[in-house]
Amino acid sequence: MRRIAIYGKGGIGKSTVSSNVSDALAEKGLKVLQIGCDPKADSTRLLMDGNTPATVLDQVRKGGTSFSDSVHDTGRGVFCVECGGPRPGTGCAGRGIIAAFGHLESLDVIGHCSPDVIIYDVLGDVVCGGFAMPIRNGYARNVFVVTSGEMMSLYAADNIRQAVEGFAGDGYAEFSGIIQNSRGIDLENEIVDKAAEEMGTEVIFRLPRDGEVQRSEDVGRTVVRNAPCSEMADNYRKLAGEILRRSEDSVGGMRLDKYRKEEKK
Amino acid sequence: MYTLRDMDVDVIVVHGPSGCGFMASRSLEQAGVRVVTSAMSETDLIFGGSDQLVDTLRTSYDMFRPRSIAVVGTCASMIIGEDVASSIKRAELDCIVFPVESHGCMGDNTQGAIKALEAGRDAGIISSEETDRQIGLLKAATAMEMERGLASRQYVKPAQGATKLRVCRKICDILSSGGKVAVVMNAKKELAYRFSDIFIAVDEARRKLGGSTFFVSNTDVEKGLPRIRKYSEDIMSQLKENNVVLDAVVGGLDEYPVIGGRMRAEVDRFSPDLTVIVGICHAYPGIRENDILITDQPRQLSNYLNEGFSNSVGEISSHSMVMGVRRIIPMETSETLRELVRGI
Repeated sequence: MRRIAIYGKGGIGKSTVSSNVSDALAEKGLKVLQIGCDPKADSTRLLMDGNTPATVLDQVRKGGTSFSDSVHDTGRGVFCVECGGPRPGTGCAGRGIIAAFGHLESLDVIGHCSPDVIIYDVLGDVVCGGFAMPIRNGYARNVFVVTSGEMMSLYAADNIRQAVEGFAGDGYAEFSGIIQNSRGIDLENEIVDKAAEEMGTEVIFRLPRDGEVQRSEDVGRTVVRNAPCSEMADNYRKLAGEILRRSEDSVGGMRLDKYRKEEKK
Repeated sequence: MYTLRDMDVDVIVVHGPSGCGFMASRSLEQAGVRVVTSAMSETDLIFGGSDQLVDTLRTSYDMFRPRSIAVVGTCASMIIGEDVASSIKRAELDCIVFPVESHGCMGDNTQGAIKALEAGRDAGIISSEETDRQIGLLKAATAMEMERGLASRQYVKPAQGATKLRVCRKICDILSSGGKVAVVMNAKKELAYRFSDIFIAVDEARRKLGGSTFFVSNTDVEKGLPRIRKYSEDIMSQLKENNVVLDAVVGGLDEYPVIGGRMRAEVDRFSPDLTVIVGICHAYPGIRENDILITDQPRQLSNYLNEGFSNSVGEISSHSMVMGVRRIIPMETSETLRELVRGI
């Protein structure tokens, strides 16, 4: 099972990239579990025909979680989970992520879905311990960061890299590369390459700017599903292949077994 | 929370998990303060616990009909940035309600007390002069503990001191041979209800054995918050009932960190053979090696022994005994002295 976390600055296209990769992997016959870790709960919208599913924390608020309300089966090999969060400006969204993961584990979501790939789509920047949860404690193994050539987006990418490296240790994720989601700015490839080099990592794929993305989003679908023969759909398929190639295949539950055993000791 | 009690706040609402501050709450309840918790759950941690706090405030008001309520923060509620003031507003209670946004990660433990005083001042419960005075004393107390008290070393292991029998024999020996014994009580607030028992016991010993005594205490009834003054009044009148005459009263029960020098000056007029110091002993300068030190703190005791004061004894767990009492209660050292004196 691959355990992948996709990070990046808010609005950079993490959810679009994640959802397209999920659909592309499902096309290959793999079972994918996409877990949205953003209080806005909009990660899996494109996988769910534009609908926002009930979130794990919605149920927590109401008193109890169930598997059927937490995991939404698209029927084509992709399962969707949204962690959700508190009303903006109250409570603690980071603590919410931690609690949601606990619920997913106790519901044995992995056992029920037996995915080949888990994709965590995580809010903007690493803002506190809760949003770093996927890269700690044996959840994700490989972290990919989506960025454009814009300065703030690269800055966020470097923050995430620092967080991952700060957590470097057994059972923790490693930084596995940059996904360039092009905005069409001047010398974008060169800028991103240079930043990657400074960060000591590489650009694993460049997604071009393509109108098909917007057209598909307008109908609440991924490009892979809405325009399967388009050039952009192929790009996402290639990116999915690249992610597969660069990620570790490990056994175990939602967290690495080894990590869980160590924790029990 | 102790500072809120000193300001005579009727109800303290702890906004946090139910276990937060339970040790302090228990003894404060004994002292007549009603302490309740909003009992934040994991769900409140995620979504915020302001509704829960409003409910707790309303329930507390209905239950106790207090004149004043203080809402105290905890690590949990303050980390998630709870808006306590807005919950207080929403509760719409017909009494003084004010927030103390303190938590466990603010540094010195006196920081929380300072926050409480400032909040009390802003709520009109205490004057700004008294607030400034209290804050000054708290800072002095912190500085003293850092320099030579509980915070002076990285770790202070609790210790057992001399036996009460040994130190009481010393007192008896000196008095029997016509010597001079000074007793200095530099008590921290309510602990005076136990420590002042030493005056009564030593006074009895002098009457039975001879010698002379000199008593100094920090029970000035003109100093401190009304509640603290009441402690001094209680003690002064009960000493009088026992025909104990104090030779000097230096400072109030909240002035323990700053009055050691003045106490020492009083004692020097008497030039005693032995000085017995009870309470915050390390605030008293120039302690001699054979002087007797009595503290309620096992770790303070360890400090005193380390400094070579082998006649240091512990009146451990005194604090839990004095919570809520209004009369002087017997101290083990005093009881030992009484037995010795009466047995002779």
